[in-house]
Amino acid sequence: MAQLIVATSECDVVNEVICAPANVNELFEFPTIFTIGGFEVTRTIILMFLAAFVAVAILYFGLRGQRLVPTKFGVAVEGLVSFVRDGIARDVIGPEGTKYVPYLMAMFFFLLVGNLFEVTPLINFPITSRMAIPAFLALVTYVIFMFVGFAKNNFRYLIDTAWPKAVPIGLRWLVGLIEVFSIFILRPITLAVRLFANMVAGHLMLTLLLTSGVIFIAAIPEIGLKGSIGVFWFGLGLFMFLLEILIGVLQAYIFTLLTAIYIESSIHFEH
Amino acid sequence: MEGSIEALVPALSLIGYGLGAIGPGIGIGIVAGNAITAMARQPEMQGTIRTTMFLGIALTEALALIGFVLFFIASA
Repeated sequence: MAQLIVATSECDVVNEVICAPANVNELFEFPTIFTIGGFEVTRTIILMFLAAFVAVAILYFGLRGQRLVPTKFGVAVEGLVSFVRDGIARDVIGPEGTKYVPYLMAMFFFLLVGNLFEVTPLINFPITSRMAIPAFLALVTYVIFMFVGFAKNNFRYLIDTAWPKAVPIGLRWLVGLIEVFSIFILRPITLAVRLFANMVAGHLMLTLLLTSGVIFIAAIPEIGLKGSIGVFWFGLGLFMFLLEILIGVLQAYIFTLLTAIYIESSIHFEH
Repeated sequence: MEGSIEALVPALSLIGYGLGAIGPGIGIGIVAGNAITAMARQPEMQGTIRTTMFLGIALTEALALIGFVLFFIASA
């Protein structure tokens, strides 16, 4: 709601078409609430712990007490769990994938809850739109697939990537260079930036359209017919709301899927 | 500000992002279109094709999203 107030007080309804706050950062940076041992706790951090807590609670209450006839909620959670375990871990990585199910499962549920915070009433802030969270998760994924690659293949992992035997000798250095650059440098960066940018774009679009809609509808008596554009912005905002639910789920899925694919490519990296 | 290139930076970065979004747009179209063709030909392979399609879309889309982030960095 603070965002709405910021935009309302500064918006020049007569001349502007979309009401944006003066600085984009106002939408993503919250003031410090209190400080613990040098760490400044903001709304984002509280929401991050809330997301982790909600993810654990969903799994706990969904899978607790196996009954003969499970509850509807239990069936839904079981569907999600088997989707990650069978659809992502075992399909992509193979039989060895079972070992990575806990990591993939934790990440999928955390990201799902975190992304859907964007469309949760009263929260309305996707925690994954702060770069620190996707960057840290991508870093953990990077460490895991590097570790797996070097543990399974020793230093052949690095050498065969930089000097691929299957490629004709003339092109080998070029292909090797591209491969090393894309695997060791580009992979973690794009993994983090993809999630981050999607969530930032969604949050910005929702905030701009919905605030503009509310402000222009409220200003209809002053600016007359032009105020009816607010109805259009608000309608578009509501449509984006539905789209953002889809994008939030899809991005959580893609982040988990890419993690699984990167781990798989480290295990069987020859092809 | 008058006559200086500084005033044009937000507009230029907007144009740059628009140009940068063309390639990924075409790429995602090709990926999705071919995935639909493949699913129509072999409906029993739907699961695998969908997974691969999302992967292809995600990899292609990354370029557009990097452009989106750079747009904010440039115009801020």
